Amino acid sequence: MDGGNIFLTLLQKVAPEGVPAWVLALTAAVVGIAILVGFVSVLVMFAVWLERKVSGHIQCRYGPMYAGGWHGWAQSVADGVKLLAKEDLIPLGADKPLFVLAPALMLAAIFGALAAMPLSPSVYFTNLNLGLFAILAMSSMTTIGVVMAGWASNSKWALYGSMREAAQVVAYEIPFGISLLVPLMVIGTFNLGEASARQAGWFGMHWVMFQNPFVLPAFLLFFTAALAETKRAPFDLPESESELVAGFMTEYSGIRWSFFFLEEYAAMFLMSVVGAVFFLGGFESPLTHFARESFGAGSVVHEVTAGVTLLLKAMFGIFLMMWLRWTLPRVRIDQVMTMGYKYLTPLALLCVLGAGIWEAIF
Amino acid sequence: MNATKTYFKNVWDSLSTTLVGMKITGKYLLQKPITVQYPDERLPIPERYRGIHYLEQEKCIDCLACARACPIDCIEMDAVRHGKELEWISFTLDYQKCMFCELCVYPCPKDCIHMGTEFAFVTYDRSELKHDLLSFKGMAKEARIRMKEAEAKKKEKEAAKAAAGAASGAPAADPKTPDAEGSA
Repeated sequence: MDGGNIFLTLLQKVAPEGVPAWVLALTAAVVGIAILVGFVSVLVMFAVWLERKVSGHIQCRYGPMYAGGWHGWAQSVADGVKLLAKEDLIPLGADKPLFVLAPALMLAAIFGALAAMPLSPSVYFTNLNLGLFAILAMSSMTTIGVVMAGWASNSKWALYGSMREAAQVVAYEIPFGISLLVPLMVIGTFNLGEASARQAGWFGMHWVMFQNPFVLPAFLLFFTAALAETKRAPFDLPESESELVAGFMTEYSGIRWSFFFLEEYAAMFLMSVVGAVFFLGGFESPLTHFARESFGAGSVVHEVTAGVTLLLKAMFGIFLMMWLRWTLPRVRIDQVMTMGYKYLTPLALLCVLGAGIWEAIF
Repeated sequence: MNATKTYFKNVWDSLSTTLVGMKITGKYLLQKPITVQYPDERLPIPERYRGIHYLEQEKCIDCLACARACPIDCIEMDAVRHGKELEWISFTLDYQKCMFCELCVYPCPKDCIHMGTEFAFVTYDRSELKHDLLSFKGMAKEARIRMKEAEAKKKEKEAAKAAAGAASGAPAADPKTPDAEGSA
């Protein structure tokens, strides 16, 4: 297993003789974390701005227009500064250590999951051969943060929200995992970079989506389950603002609240990346194919094109999530449960069965 | 069998209705927004809209007709007369009281007070809601010129009279001048 990241490899090349290995490893880790956190934060800021613009335009409004000049591009920056400057409030009856720990835990879990994401074919933070497995494990840890926040807040709104989250995640982890088995059966690897590389082919369109007729329904199931996993509308019951104020985030404000917000958008990005890699070809597109053919695999042009391709696919996934959010009304909790247990799970199993038979025959 | 049919119909319905909804929201997403960027851009205001008043101060003759017409006495005006000319001190309208009934507009003999189109006048303090409608204090430039001209004319007249008096050798004409000033 090649577990080292690209920064360690680079450092080992440029570092002078005699520097202990642990110093290099630590530096590489710190650099990697800084780059990951910075990258994701900027991306989340962009996604928040995009969400506000998309929601605005769907409702025939403009959305933010002033901050920063062009179409309010700096709105998220301004919001971030405001959130950082806000008073740090902890309710009197709250369980202080848990209350403080919950947002940090969620953020740590989601960044841990994002660490398995490759930025381009040879730029990655950790090259795990069980990458998808790690992502699933880490991203479901955010639920613990939600339940912790709800419990520690000492508020009934928060408690209801977190209980709903727990019920919802238990229901949707199953179809989420099962629907991901379908592309796994087709490409046969958990590693995200490897999965993307195996989809390279005729003009970069050798995507899993077109390999097997059962992948498309599996993708729809995956997408629905991912919406529920990331607590996005129409499954945003944990923070249903019209019934529960803000659900598990009711008692939070300022920087801690912004952690929850960051986690939500980072999770959206993560789910979109997983969907893009395991269903929609990952780094592969006609453009990437062209770059590889004319500049060679591993050249800067190829790496950049591949990275941008994945980013665009992920952005499209995020956009779809936003589009759905501003289209569908929130479903009731019993409807959420019905959908998870009675519809998504059996249908996902059916897809796995069909895809397995198809793979065995063809 | 029927239950299976319902099951798959439910699946199909949820999928197809979602797509229908997305088609509708997608259409709105691409269409031009119907809102305007308010402080920069404004929607057209009807002609007879009753907003904040504006006063054509040059026309106003300080007759108090509007103040008398006001059912809640929110108009107050003060001006000093210099012969025909007016020296304005204040013309205030208290928007804490004003109900925008437009009754002050009709009695005006010079048609100089109007209802405007401005409707936004948020203030930090209640006292700021008492607007002064005057565009200038004191006398108008034209009025000042007219007054100077009148004075100059009068002086000329006096000088002419004095000259005439001196020529006719009748210095007794002098005491009459104060009367002439009063009638000017």
